[in-house]
Amino acid sequence: MSVARPRRQAGIGERRLLALTALAIAVAIGYVAFQNLNTSAVYYLTPTEAQERKIAPGASVRLGGQVEPGTLRYEPTSRDLRFILTDGVTRTVVVGKGAPPALLREGAGAVVEGFFATDLSFRATQVIAKHDEVYVPPSPSRTPPHRTP
Amino acid sequence: MTFADVGGGALRAALALALWGLLASAYAARERDGRALQSARWSALAAFVLVVAASLSMAAALLAHDFTIRYVALNNALETPAYFSAISLWAALEGSILLWTTILAGAVAYVAWRGTREIPRLATTALAVMFAMLAFFLFLVVSPAADPFVRIDPAPLNGRGPNPLLQDHWLMGLHPPLLYLGYVLFSVPFAYAVASLILGEGGDRWIVATRRSALVAWALLGVGIVAGAWWSYAVLGWGGYWAWDPVENAAIMPWLVATAYLHSVMVEEKRRMLRTWNVALVIGAFALTILGTFLTRSGVVNSVHSFTQSAIGPLLLGYLAAVLAFSVGLLLWRAPRLADSGPVGVPLSREAVFLFQNVLFVAATLTVLLGTLYPLVVEAISGAQLSIGSPYFDRVEVPIALALLFLMGVGPQLPWHGASRATLERQFAAPVVVAGAGALLALAVGLRGAAAVLGYALAAFVVATVAQEVMRGVRARRTLHGETAAGAFVNLFRRSGRRYGGYVVHVGIALIALAVVSSQAQAAEAEATLAPGGSMQVAGRTIVFDGLRDVVDPQRTQVVADLRVLDGGTGAALAPALTYYPNATAGIGSPGIRSTAGDDVYAILAAYDARSRAWATLQVRVIPLVSWLWIGGAIVGLGAVIAALPPGRRHSSAVAAPSGTVASVT
Repeated sequence: MSVARPRRQAGIGERRLLALTALAIAVAIGYVAFQNLNTSAVYYLTPTEAQERKIAPGASVRLGGQVEPGTLRYEPTSRDLRFILTDGVTRTVVVGKGAPPALLREGAGAVVEGFFATDLSFRATQVIAKHDEVYVPPSPSRTPPHRTP
Repeated sequence: MTFADVGGGALRAALALALWGLLASAYAARERDGRALQSARWSALAAFVLVVAASLSMAAALLAHDFTIRYVALNNALETPAYFSAISLWAALEGSILLWTTILAGAVAYVAWRGTREIPRLATTALAVMFAMLAFFLFLVVSPAADPFVRIDPAPLNGRGPNPLLQDHWLMGLHPPLLYLGYVLFSVPFAYAVASLILGEGGDRWIVATRRSALVAWALLGVGIVAGAWWSYAVLGWGGYWAWDPVENAAIMPWLVATAYLHSVMVEEKRRMLRTWNVALVIGAFALTILGTFLTRSGVVNSVHSFTQSAIGPLLLGYLAAVLAFSVGLLLWRAPRLADSGPVGVPLSREAVFLFQNVLFVAATLTVLLGTLYPLVVEAISGAQLSIGSPYFDRVEVPIALALLFLMGVGPQLPWHGASRATLERQFAAPVVVAGAGALLALAVGLRGAAAVLGYALAAFVVATVAQEVMRGVRARRTLHGETAAGAFVNLFRRSGRRYGGYVVHVGIALIALAVVSSQAQAAEAEATLAPGGSMQVAGRTIVFDGLRDVVDPQRTQVVADLRVLDGGTGAALAPALTYYPNATAGIGSPGIRSTAGDDVYAILAAYDARSRAWATLQVRVIPLVSWLWIGGAIVGLGAVIAALPPGRRHSSAVAAPSGTVASVT
């Protein structure tokens, strides 16, 4: 395949075009990255922090706390999941759909991702169990656990 | 003598040898002293043997359940099967660093003993750099931060057992060593690059000398990443294989930079351009391997992989800072000597494609790095805790990946120095048609998103360009050498392995792209609570639940759900389970997977009736083409092997390429 080709030297205009294109690509990617960084950031809050900050209904947040003992209910046929997440001060009713993660237990830490409904209950799109062994449990998104107080 | 005595003693002796080797090789490089060099080479070999002995004594201690060693007590139990006992060598921090050190010692011995008796000054200097790195890691494994042989007194009667997730799948024996081999072998090109800077060489001898080790490191890291994705898919039970977890990011970043490097060195070899850039890429890839280890081992980022917090974090951070300060300082000092023949200029030329490819790979790396470190930065500044989720990475990296797929098809088709209009038509007419067919295929299988359709089209484009190249190559060999079609095909890969091996890699990546597009865009999912005998429908498949059964093994108990997939009447069995280990408080989900070329049926036992076994909640996904991800990974590895083999007739003894013979690309 190695055929001698005429060696063409690039003109200054071509070089400049190439450099500007490369620069434009880099700038565009940087712009897209920083734009998305803020929109994709999901803040961890405790139920108390969420109450204090008056998080708007529908806004995506992640709550960390403890599953209050005696409140975890899973209805197998309708697959409705319901429990109270507490940080010791504020209690938030969490409503979700689907079987709870195998590691979710009453009294243990949990992280829920979702949004507040207008009735101030929390609609969880994801429930992530957190336990305090050396290894972080697997979870649907394998998102980092919240350090619960 | 106990295992701990042997292992600990061997590591301390190896540290002494590494320090001696550092002095001897530095002296040998400076004074061109043959005796010092010989001494350094024997030190390298002896240190390697000693570190291997230390690893073997740890493996033996694990197999013998010697709970007087703290690491064994924490990561092994009497019930642990032999295979998982042996691979518990890398089940936790100390063992992993020991494995890392072992591979590094092997790399040092390789640098010391490759080639002939008289290794050149460049290699001698590189050897000194390697010894310095080995000394650091040996210091880690004999220091309290990561000493694997710390004893525990009194020894427990039984150990805690390995982490449940690590004794669930045979892939655990493959994924970490591959990744570590990849990580550590990057130290060889790095050491040569630094040596070249120290000696003030302007040329690319260091690139020629480390071409193969860079390729092998890149391939092992890549295959290790795919093996890790496979492990995640087969063990973690969330139906996916990639989540932009900090540890995944830590592994992919050096791989991205190394991919840029493997391509831009061709520009340096062919056109004597981008010299400073190539040194910077090698430094970057190597620094990212250390950053990855720091991120995963220090506990600064939370991740599925974060095992333990330990004092090793600050030490690794200091090491990273030292490596960066030293190598970047050297580069700035020596940059004037790295004269290029001229800047890359002609837009429609292969070197221009490589330039854009490099910009994109580096941009991909930096944006992944940004998303990985941003939460750390925000928490350090404002104290707020946040995470950057997949949407960020998907939105930023998917367009970059598509652009790279495009360049992957374009690059090999453009000649160096620039292309004429006739060349463009000859090279691209057929592939563009095939790309159109790929887009139609995507629409026909029901894909709708622009990125998905484009992904199919570009993957088809890449495969078509490769097919065209191979067909032309075969035709050329037949006319030039009078070979048969089959013979010409084989010789193409044997004689021009670097080029055609690279094409095989491209095909593997195209398959991975197809698998990612289909598995991400077209997976169907259903969840249902069933009584025994009940069934559910997912994507036209009927899944029948036959009931639950309990399985008791020495090291664990399982509740298994027996399922059948009804398609074509055979009724393939699936057995998702919840597995309980004595050292874990809750069950670990083990998915049941039925793989075919077309799709995977992936079932998870999400919940069950603990009292009477009367019901089970099952999640079933049908994931198209996902097995092609693993096959594509294997093809990438195969292509790298073809590219790494010496050209021509295979010689069993790999002799270092003499400087001056730049391996032919075109």
